Formats: sequence, C-alpha cells, structure tokens
Amino acid sequence: MNQRLAMVIDSAKCIDCKACQAACKQANHVSRGAWRNWIKEAAPVVENGKLARGHFQPGACMHCDEPSCLAACPTGATFKSADGSVGIDPKLCIGCGNCIAACPYGARFRDPVRRKADKCDYCPQRRAAGLAPACVDTCPTKARVFGDINDPDSAAAKLLAANQGRVVRIVAKGRDTKPNMYYIASTAPEGWAVKPVDPLSFNALTQVVAPLVRYAVGLSGLGVLVMLGRQLMAGQKPKASHHAGPDTTSDPEAESRQGTANKPETADKEDGHDAR
Amino acid sequence: MTDRQLSRRDFLRLAGASATAVAATAVGAATAQEARAAASAAPPAWESKFGVCDMCFNRCGLIARVERGVITKLDPNPKFTKSRGMLCARGNAGVDQVYDPDRLKTPLLRVGARGAGKWKAIGWDEALDLAAAKMKDIAAKHTRCGMLFSAGADTQSQFVNRFAEAFGSYNVTSHESLCLLSGNRAFLDTYGEVPLPDVKNSKYVILAGANRLEALVTPDSMDLVSIMKAGAKVVVLDPRYTKSAALASEWWPVRPGTDMAFMFALAHVIIAEKLYDPAYMQERTSGFEQLAAHVADKTPQWAEAETGIPAHDTARIARELAAAAPAAMVYPGRRTSDYENSTQIRRSFAIVNALLSNWDRPGGLVPSRPAGVKKGAPFEPPFYDDNPPGRVDQGGVPLLFEDEGSFVLTREAVIKGAPYPVKGWMVYKTNPMATAPERRKTRQMIDALDFLLVVDITMSDTAWMADLVLPAPSALERQDPVQALQAGAEGACLVWRDPVIAPLHQSRPVFDIVKALSQRLGFPEAFDFDIPKYREQQLAAFPEAAEILKRDGVFYPPNPPLGTTDGQPFKTPSQKIELFSTRYADKGLDPLPVYQPPKPAPDAARKFRLVVGRSACVTQASSTNNAMLSEFEPENTLWLNEESARELGVGQGDMVLVESPAGRGELRALVTPKIRKNTVYMLSGFGSVSGGLSRIKGVGASIVELMESRVDAICGNSAMHETYVSVRKKGAA
Repeated sequence: MNQRLAMVIDSAKCIDCKACQAACKQANHVSRGAWRNWIKEAAPVVENGKLARGHFQPGACMHCDEPSCLAACPTGATFKSADGSVGIDPKLCIGCGNCIAACPYGARFRDPVRRKADKCDYCPQRRAAGLAPACVDTCPTKARVFGDINDPDSAAAKLLAANQGRVVRIVAKGRDTKPNMYYIASTAPEGWAVKPVDPLSFNALTQVVAPLVRYAVGLSGLGVLVMLGRQLMAGQKPKASHHAGPDTTSDPEAESRQGTANKPETADKEDGHDAR
Repeated sequence: MTDRQLSRRDFLRLAGASATAVAATAVGAATAQEARAAASAAPPAWESKFGVCDMCFNRCGLIARVERGVITKLDPNPKFTKSRGMLCARGNAGVDQVYDPDRLKTPLLRVGARGAGKWKAIGWDEALDLAAAKMKDIAAKHTRCGMLFSAGADTQSQFVNRFAEAFGSYNVTSHESLCLLSGNRAFLDTYGEVPLPDVKNSKYVILAGANRLEALVTPDSMDLVSIMKAGAKVVVLDPRYTKSAALASEWWPVRPGTDMAFMFALAHVIIAEKLYDPAYMQERTSGFEQLAAHVADKTPQWAEAETGIPAHDTARIARELAAAAPAAMVYPGRRTSDYENSTQIRRSFAIVNALLSNWDRPGGLVPSRPAGVKKGAPFEPPFYDDNPPGRVDQGGVPLLFEDEGSFVLTREAVIKGAPYPVKGWMVYKTNPMATAPERRKTRQMIDALDFLLVVDITMSDTAWMADLVLPAPSALERQDPVQALQAGAEGACLVWRDPVIAPLHQSRPVFDIVKALSQRLGFPEAFDFDIPKYREQQLAAFPEAAEILKRDGVFYPPNPPLGTTDGQPFKTPSQKIELFSTRYADKGLDPLPVYQPPKPAPDAARKFRLVVGRSACVTQASSTNNAMLSEFEPENTLWLNEESARELGVGQGDMVLVESPAGRGELRALVTPKIRKNTVYMLSGFGSVSGGLSRIKGVGASIVELMESRVDAICGNSAMHETYVSVRKKGAA
C-alpha cells in the first residue's frame, strides 16, 4: 500500500512557544519575514467575569489528498508524491502566486528572497536521514506527531486509532480538499479556512498549456537558476523589517489575531501570506 | 563567517544538487512522481556533534548538524531526557547566535568617553597586559577587595569565581541576586535545602508567581502539560493571562502581592479541617502549633478581600490540594525577585508544602539528587591580611548569601565608596545594565570605577560602558567542564561541551583569559590545569562516564529511589521542617511570615504596578538581538488593560509614555483583557543603549530604566514588583 504521510496534532498540548516555527525556519532556510508553519490562537472568551481557557493550534500545509493548489499551478511545479505529500519543484515554479490564492489554508507564500512559492514539505532531507520533520522533532510537548497513517505501526496511525471518532479536521469553505492534518479531540480556532480560489479559465489554461509550459520551463530551468544565483550572490535581501507596515506584518501575534478573527479576506491574501 | 557568507555557501551546495535535477526534468518532461520525490530526498551531508545549549540557563542537550564546518541546524538530543527531547525556539536560534554579525571579534579598548562607543581594536597580549596592570594597581591602592567580579549563568563562570578567590577578593555577585535568591532563602530556611519539584508525578500543582509554560524550565514546563493531559490539576495565580494561565485547569487573576494571603487561607483550611497528617507534623515539622494559631483567623473570606479570589474557590482548592497530597505541591518557582518581603512570601509557599507531607515523595518536593561530580583541581585560596573584614554589601540585610551577595546593595556601596572603595569590576556574560533595576544607578556605579572589563559574546549594554571588552566564543565553540543538571525525581545528569566548530573571530574562552591573567598577576598555580584534566578529576567517581558522554552526549549517575531521607534529620537548627523559624526569631525577623498588604499606589497618576515576566522566545537581554528571535519578539509593548486604556484614551498600538521615579520609557501599548486593571507588563531586554546591538538599540522601552531599586529585606535579592508607574498617551497632556 502507498504511504500516506500525515501530521496528527494534539493542539491542547501546544504552549505556543514557537519552537516549531524556529526549527522549520532554520532547517529550511526560510527567508526572514516568511514562515512555513504557524501557531494560531483561539480568541479568548470571557466566562464568569474572567478569560476562560485558551487554545493554541499549530499548523502548516495539510498535504491534502485533493489539493486545490495542484490544479492552480500553471507549470506543474506543484505535485502530489506517492508518499502523499504535496511538493513544489522550485525549478518549475515561476512565482505566479496562483497556488497561494488557491490554498484555502494560507499554507503557501511567495518567498520574499527567492520569489517562488514555498510551503511545508515535511523536511524530505531530514526524513532521508531518518529524522522527523524539524517541527516535530523539536516540539517541547510533542503536540505534533508525524508519520505514515497507512502504516498501523506508526505513531501517527496509533494516535489516530486511539482517538477514533474524536478527530477534527480544518476544511476549506465549500470544498473538502481532504487535508492530511488531523487534530485530535478538539481544536480551536475552527472555521478559519477560506474558499479556494481556482478560476475555471485558469483550470482550462493549465490543462491545455501546462505540458508545453512544463517543457519550456524545464529547458529554461538552468537559465533561471543562473539568474537566481546572481541575485543571491549579489547579496540582495529585502530589508529586514522589525516594524512591518499596515499591509504586511511579521508579527506572529498579529498573524494569530488574523487567524482568530475568522474573516480572512482573499483580496489581500497574497500580501498577508508573504508576510507570514 | 557572516550569515551572508553562509547563505552563499549553502546556495552553491544547493545549486549543485538542483542543476542535476533540472537536467533530469528537462529530459523527462513529465517526470514520474517517485523520481521527483527521490530527487529532493537525498540525506543531508552533515556531521552530527553533541552540544549543550546556552540560550538560557537550562542547558539542554543538543545535536549540532555541521556541514563543511558550518553549523546549519541544532536538534534536540533524544538521549537527554531532562528536556523531554525538545529544543525550544531559543535553542533553535542558537545558530544565529554563533553567526551573529554583531558578535565581538577582537579585544576592544575604549578610546572615547565612557559609553560613547569609540573603540580601538587591540591584540590579546596588549589587552591581557593592560587588564593585569589595572587589577594590580587597584589591589595596591584599594586592597584586593577593590575588585568586584560578576559572572553570569555559564559553565565557565566557576573559573571567574575561582579567579576572584585566587586574586583575593570576596566581592563576587552573579545574576542570582536579580533572580532566584528569595525563593532559595525561603526553602533553605524552612527545609535546610532548596528542593526540586517532581512535577512529573504530581496530581495537583499550584503555580503562583511562576509562568512556567513561557519561562521554560526543563523538565517542569513539559511535565505540566503532560500531567494535565493525564488528569492532574494545575491552578495558576497570576495578574496576567499568561500562556500558563490560558492552559491551566484554573486561572485566578490574583491581586499582585497578595500570594501570601492565599497561602495562609490554604493553610487555614487544611489545619481547620484536619486535612494534614498529624503524625508527620509531630515528627517532621517544628512549630505546627504556632502556625495553627497564626493562621486561625486567616480564613478564605479574609483572603478574598486581599487576593480577589472567591473564598469558596480558595477553600475548594485547599481541599483538592490536600486530597491529592503527598503527590501535590505549591510550585516553589524560580525567579522570586518580586517584593521586599519575597522571602517571607515564599516561606508561606514552603509552609503549605510542609502541610502536604510531600517532602521526598513522588509528585512532591524532592531533595537534590546526588550527582557525584568531584571538585576539579582543588586549591587553597590565599589569605590577605590587609583585606577589609567582609563583603562590600555586608550588613545591609540580615541573611545575605555570602557567595552571591546582593547586586543592588553592592552597587549602592560602589557608588558611595563605602564601607570601602571598589574601583574595578570584571564582568563575564552577565549584563546588569540591562537586568538590574534602575539603569541610571548601574551607570552611576560604572562611572565610579577606574576599570571595567567585560568578557562576552556581543557588545552588551554593560560592555558598551566598559574600558576593555574581550570577545568570548559561543558555547558551541568551546570545551567546558562537566556540569551536573537536576531533573526532579529522575536524578541528576552530567554534560560537558566539546567544540562543535573552531572558535570564530579572535574569541577566547574566559578560562583561557583568567588563566593568562593569573600568570601575569603572579598566581599561576591557581590555574595549573587544562579542561581535559579538570574534567578527569570531576569524573573520578565514574570511570565509564567519559566514554558514555562521547557516545550519548549525556551521562546519568546512579539515582537512589525517593524516600531515602525518611527518618534523616533536616539540615535546619531543629532538624525538622521549620514552619516556625527560631533562627529568624533570633535575628529579630518574623519567625512565621506576617502578611503585609501590598503598598498602595503613591498617587492617582502613578497607579500602575509594573510586573516583569517572560516570553518563551526571550532570555532577558541576552536573546533579544538574535536574528531569529527578533522575528517573534521584535520589540516590547506595554500590556495595558482595556478599561484602563479607555480611561487614558490609549488605543491599540499607540505610543505611550511610562514614568516612574527611576526613569521613563516610550513604547507601544498592547491593549488587552489579559492583564488586571492597574497592572502593566513589558518584556525585559529591549530599549538597549549599546551601539553594538543593531536590532534592539533604542527599540521599545527598557524595563530596568523604569524599575526602582528595591531589595528583599531579608536576603537582598532585588524586588522587581515594587514599582508603580504612570502611563499616558504620547503627546497627551
């Protein structure tokens, strides 16, 4: 049977310490101001005159079985692997940003330095070395559990089995993309995922044109690489901002608030995600 | 090596791999999924080396991934069980500490006015000659106690303290008198030693004055989460809705400074309802009758008026706590530098623990576990007849810790030049300019000196004021002695450090520095050893330990089971747990803690009590300039209750002006329901003055600029919650 890599998360154990975000950034050389994963905070409610129990929710790309980002990619850079993970081939990515709007979970962003789509890839290099993804390995309370849920002996599958009937998934508005991220028992905030944006015209375009573009981009891959190389060698970095402007924010607290506000707008989505 | 060079190198490596993959793609056009996945899944070409984190005092075991001499990732060492196999955000950011462009690179000599930031790079020989000459000069003019030594939490700090001893000065302070001494004093004077909480096996934990899910302490922080998951109860008392509060079984927004009233009410209920073990009280405690009389009128109703916690809840908590005993505790806490009566406040914590009979019991308070580390290179410190009779801060408070002293009182003495002049100061990896209350006084103290030498990794605010600054390597670049770490009931574990990479820049470990100085100052015998020899002596009891440390990165000495102290005398005057302290009575101190309501606000404008605390991404001023961590905490904000903000006309994110008699600060307001009215909070470690800290110089406000210089009346620990501040919107009248 095929592998089905998944993340099983007990968000009630998350203490919002940011270790997963730091580990991911370090392991994957994610640019300053951008994040492949996040922790959302449930808006605290007042009960009996004081704030009631809070809840933090770790997240990242859900590596959906029916990913809305896949069809949105005009070059085929986004792909679904046999192990169940959704990947991005940076050599094919032209940084158009369509997949970013197509992801209802805000899991994708355009890397501000590399100018390409980026997101969680379950740390394939670490897995090849026999290690868990960086966020899972480092988590102080082991809120994140990773593994092949088709393998009944994996920790992830066992955790899922032990919580049968108590598993929650965050699902896009209007379409179940079949996320492979399972929150056990209960989680909050819920309902923050938006509707995927995948214009029909765009779908048609990818079906007809994609193979050609794919070939062309493949050929020009080396050229793109050289250009990218020159950019990096020149040391071009966007100005690291402590104080993000009103349209972009590098403040993870602000991100949490945005998440908990439960009304994410798709209009300025791209900016918001770039800033994560 | 800067981070830019690092990214170039990484890029070249990645580019090599990518070019191959691109070629394959171009040929295959529509690539098979498996092939594409495989192309990106080559294991990294890294070397793995054990290390010990240095981003805070916890010292978690880690594995450094090193690629072509560059550390690219730090991972938790799964064999290091004290940290429960984790590495927090700060630990992960340790890579950025190593490759921080702000690191000190050469010895620097001040050439302009103090604090003006004019430096001249000099060689090591010149620097060491100069430091030795200055120290010699100060010793000749002002006796050897004219030199003060302050070393922070570091595995090599023991060498600075040894150097001070060999030099002949007993004026030594550390960070501890700005942190944990009140709690240590209280438990030492009640139990005869400072216990460890066995959180892992506890069924009921009261967390008062400790934000353990943000101010991470291993293994307690992780264990609190695990035990709650397994059904244990954690009750948090905090004026702030911290993350500990948010995730606790119960949170009570206690009125600041009233914890003792709550503890007395717990004691009242436990005693009145006979929820204690009378035989235990008889055999193991001293002063139970006095305590019973003392708390007879400290009812939950009485406490409610002080704490704001409903009486029936306090009574219920007392019953639940007693029912879970002995696997129950009032968590002793770590940073206890809160109030002028903090020792007595923490004594009340210790007393409730005694009523739970939880000493040396699973889930209770346990004595330090034996570590078996022998003294490295024992030596007899010299004695100098002309030295003054005691520490410069002696006499200020009745129960000063002789080996720690009180930084705040020492600073007073240096400023006054009395009882005797102190004119030189050697500082290693601690930063009083950013951690001691009332920054202008620390500056005044430095102005009173003839010579300030700072050894550190970066140009801290204290280094910025120095005459001579010497660059130290990060903890991943050095060889360190064996260190024993305590992990609750699980026993001690031993770690050491070997360099993961060669020292960067011209940095030298402080061991090399004090060794070189000892040769110049005429006492080379004090450092007549090297670290390998020192470690060998430390591990004399465990011939197998060195090999295991190399193999696993950690060694666990044998750990006797709990309960072995049953029937053994406590190390107190009465040989029992001293509910009533005869020693305190002899010293004219309250033998049982006496509740004093917190001092009221001085006036209508200055009505906000300033409280300190932590984020899991901040280790005071030592981490806020870190590239990665600054993304999480780029600047500090003033937590201001929504209602208070409305009254002041302060909106979300507005700049506010905060003032106290000690100083002032400007920062953005975080208007939030997560803090009590009339209480404000900000992170420490911001509003720095050092021109060598590019991310935090002048960013946010400095909490030590605002805090008044108050001390614990018993042990001289700083009292950081005694300051009231005024808050107004910037620009408002």
